Amino acid sequence: MSRTLISQAQLRRGRGKYLYWTLLAVVVAGFTLVFLGPLYWMVTGALKSGQEIAQTPPTLWPQDPQTQNYVDAWNNLDLAKLMFNTFYYAAGAVFFQLVFDTAAAYALSKLRPAFGNVILGLMLATLMIPAMVLIVPQYVTAIDLPIIHVNLLDSPWAIWLPLIANAFNIFLLKRFFDSIPEDLIAAAQVDGASPLRTLWSIILPMSRPILGVVSIFAVTAVWKDFLWPKLVMPSPETRTLSVGIYAFSGGTPQNVVIAASVIAAVPTVIIFLLFQRNIMSGLTTGSLKG
Amino acid sequence: MSVPQYRKAAALALVAGLGLSLTACSTKSSDDNGGTDAAGKVTITVDCQPVGAQKELLANWNADVAEFQKQNPDITIKSVSVGEQCNNPPDFTARLAGGTMTDVFYGYMTDLQQVLDSGQAMDITQYATKDTVPTWDSVDPALKEVFTEEGKLYAVPVKNYSMGLVYNKALFKKAGLDAENPPKTWAEVREAAKKIAATGSGIAGYSEYSAGNTGGWHFTAMTYSQGGKILGEDGKKAAFNDAAGKQVLQNLKDMRYGDNSMGTRQLLQWGDLLTNAGAGKVGMFIGAPDATQAIVSQFQGKYEDWAMGPMPGQDGPAKGTLGGGEGYFFKKDLTPEQVKAGLKWIAYQKLTPGKGQLDYARAKPQNYPVGLPQPLLFTNGSDAQKQELELRKANANVDTANFKVFEDNPVPIVGEPRNAQAIYAVLDSAMSGVLTNPNANIDSLLKTAETKVNQLQAAGS
Amino acid sequence: MAIMTAPAVTTKPTPAPTVSKRGRKLRDNLTGHAFLIGAVVCFALFMWYPMIRGVVMSFQRTRRGETTWVGWDNYTRIIADPSFWVAWKNTFIFTIMALVVGYVLPFFVAILLNEFRHAKGYLRILVYLPVMLPPASALFLFKYYAYDPSDAGLFNAILKFLHLPTSEWMQSPTMTIPAMVIASTWMNMGSAVLIYLASLQNIPGELYEAAELDGAGIWRRIWSVTIPQTRLILALLAMLQIVATMQLFIEPLILANGAGTQDSATSVAYLIYQHGFFQNDLNGAAALGVIMLIVLAAFSAVYVRLTTKQD
Repeated sequence: MSRTLISQAQLRRGRGKYLYWTLLAVVVAGFTLVFLGPLYWMVTGALKSGQEIAQTPPTLWPQDPQTQNYVDAWNNLDLAKLMFNTFYYAAGAVFFQLVFDTAAAYALSKLRPAFGNVILGLMLATLMIPAMVLIVPQYVTAIDLPIIHVNLLDSPWAIWLPLIANAFNIFLLKRFFDSIPEDLIAAAQVDGASPLRTLWSIILPMSRPILGVVSIFAVTAVWKDFLWPKLVMPSPETRTLSVGIYAFSGGTPQNVVIAASVIAAVPTVIIFLLFQRNIMSGLTTGSLKG
Repeated sequence: MSVPQYRKAAALALVAGLGLSLTACSTKSSDDNGGTDAAGKVTITVDCQPVGAQKELLANWNADVAEFQKQNPDITIKSVSVGEQCNNPPDFTARLAGGTMTDVFYGYMTDLQQVLDSGQAMDITQYATKDTVPTWDSVDPALKEVFTEEGKLYAVPVKNYSMGLVYNKALFKKAGLDAENPPKTWAEVREAAKKIAATGSGIAGYSEYSAGNTGGWHFTAMTYSQGGKILGEDGKKAAFNDAAGKQVLQNLKDMRYGDNSMGTRQLLQWGDLLTNAGAGKVGMFIGAPDATQAIVSQFQGKYEDWAMGPMPGQDGPAKGTLGGGEGYFFKKDLTPEQVKAGLKWIAYQKLTPGKGQLDYARAKPQNYPVGLPQPLLFTNGSDAQKQELELRKANANVDTANFKVFEDNPVPIVGEPRNAQAIYAVLDSAMSGVLTNPNANIDSLLKTAETKVNQLQAAGS
Repeated sequence: MAIMTAPAVTTKPTPAPTVSKRGRKLRDNLTGHAFLIGAVVCFALFMWYPMIRGVVMSFQRTRRGETTWVGWDNYTRIIADPSFWVAWKNTFIFTIMALVVGYVLPFFVAILLNEFRHAKGYLRILVYLPVMLPPASALFLFKYYAYDPSDAGLFNAILKFLHLPTSEWMQSPTMTIPAMVIASTWMNMGSAVLIYLASLQNIPGELYEAAELDGAGIWRRIWSVTIPQTRLILALLAMLQIVATMQLFIEPLILANGAGTQDSATSVAYLIYQHGFFQNDLNGAAALGVIMLIVLAAFSAVYVRLTTKQD
């Protein structure tokens, strides 16, 4: 462990040690309360009846657990379908971002075709444009794509295609590719490898951490996005979890909405716990040194 | 493979990959044969199929489709479910803008303008006749008028309601009130609300919306009860900033902060209020008869608790109550065969006593109410109305006595204003102001809302 | 911005080998563009074209399938809407409060976590847990349970237990925005903490050593070592955070059922949504989008000016 703000030695000595352990205990307790507490409230709250929820003061543990709320949530909101949709969109987003953004970053970094810098500049210019600004014209575009006149509503492409247009990922990838020594590529070219082969067998294997980061970002983008999927997925068959839960909240008792929220969170929390080491180290080593 | 070829292949693969991905979506677009195949079979898509959670309704719908197709072997109905609320404004707008509605699509009476604006509606005047809809001449002309513009009919009404005072009999009894004799004026509502709120903590004597457009909707209904209007005669200017509108807000303010009889939870929208009602925490609210259906089937309430009286007035019977309803529109560019098929389906499922939604014998044992004073589709005294009423009485599974006071005290029905949903959104703010701010200034709330509505109407024309 | 990636092996990219034959060069270009085409098409469709389309739409009006040019009508109408200025005010207040809380807090949490030798993994998971919830779920949790205005609500129950005054939260015009900031920070801060943690781990220990030898206390060390060493990531996250919070949408939509009490939750993004998808006024919404773009562009220009000056 390398040296941080406060030296190890200081933490091991009398007063420092005492302070360290007190602070640690306070932080562990505080964080558990702040971050786990609401989740506990959520899981148990969804087990309470409507009457019990309105009770003052609130009960810490449901007096008469209503597991039916969870059953209703699962059935009435068709959560299986919503989960499948969300994971399907996320998987597609990862795949298409990896394919097209990697190809683009590789071209911009190594192949450098004419006007490459102009294109990169135009891409980077979109970094500062928040999604909300373009939501209306993007929406109008998605319902009637120029030239080919295709309507993307309710089609997963309405989520995947705009996500490919991600300047941040292309920039991340390009920076990473820039740092791969040119000699390696030159050597490959001497051996007669095509650009595609070079990308596949030299660049990509070296880029695993950054590809991991891009994948995490892609999944998070689908997971966290709300308004765009709400607009382009108007049919109940194609909704994402977040949109589906919101859509049902109007006509569903509050406890059932909360129960649905709990169920919706379970798979991702499990995935996160399983892969947290990889996710954390990916974020650490891959991109964000500064 | 030599190097250049490899490169070319890679390039091609990338281009083809994207091209494919784009064309793949185009396969989704509907077939262009006008919905009629070689054998002369007509196919139409229809939305507002009940969702899976509404098990019995869904089963009924599917049975209706099967039976209808058996009777009309040349017609195929494809049902599409668009969610629990068939018209959810943003989704509905999205479908209109994208042209992804079904061939025959559901809408509120207030949607006519928006549907026309989108340029997606079809004039069905010449098709809507006794030949396609056997009960057409019995359908209340006032309802047809709602879906008519410049002499052209754009939709078929399938449901119609008017609002009254929905109240919880159990809470009335608990508060020592006469559960058979609901309040008929706002002053009586206020008195009753005070007593009900006193029966327990967290109980609202009277509950009211103020978000998600429902606040504006109820403001409109209450303004009608005072004899007021939302828009002036020409439909261009707001007309609610007057004594009637002020009285509406004043009544609410008195109950909310004067008596503290409306509960602490505000900013309610449709499901929030009904959740509380289902949990037995609401004494009274204004609503249509089918609010009781929602309380029972979706919000875990009990039928026997709920009854209905007429819309209260300020000093006597209400001067008006809000009426609204639903209908089915037809997408433009349908073939005449498709329009006729659509009309036949609606006639069968919605407008034939004893069939579809009016099949009361089937609904009786189910968890859906028969006997509510709804849907008010047919003209008074018409054959269809008589038939429907008889069937309804014979199969009633709710105590019709609970709705007797409502039925015996009819209040003139006033329709919703043009551009209603947008106006309701504006009026939400006046409602939330008076329900969450003890020092709210009613005059300025109404003034702000008036400015906004005037702008809205000016922009919309 | 320029630090966002790992120059794992830092060699300056050498220029592409110059080829004498024009044919070869053309082919290389073609290959390069073939690799680019997918991303470029998507950028064209969903970024570049919509930008132009948005500006065009903002000067048009579409009614019953007919589109006409209306000059500045959409802009005057949008600006005359009484909610317009309120929405901007709310958005700015939210952005500033979210910056103070949601930006500074994760930094100190990260510093704290970086010092601990125990329970590190546990704490990191805890902080990141809310990020795992679908945003709608997290917000319903706050709406139904935490911000319940009666004493049955979680926050009010706690406040009451501590004998502190309770609040009506989303129903109180003064608490609406702070309540949205709390919910938003709770559900989003995990990512920022992790990013800070990653960059903290790259600070060479010797720098702290040296600072300590110079007699610098803890705050002094944070000020003169930690912050300068993470300056670029701090600057980047500040920018991203501002752009993200300016788009405040789902919090008002869910927590306040839209506009909240008397427009106290209305944000610019919510207004765009309201005009575009409730009031059947896509052109007005497009105009509002253009205004938002101009405000953000002006803001970015100032920001870039300020940050480059320091270099």
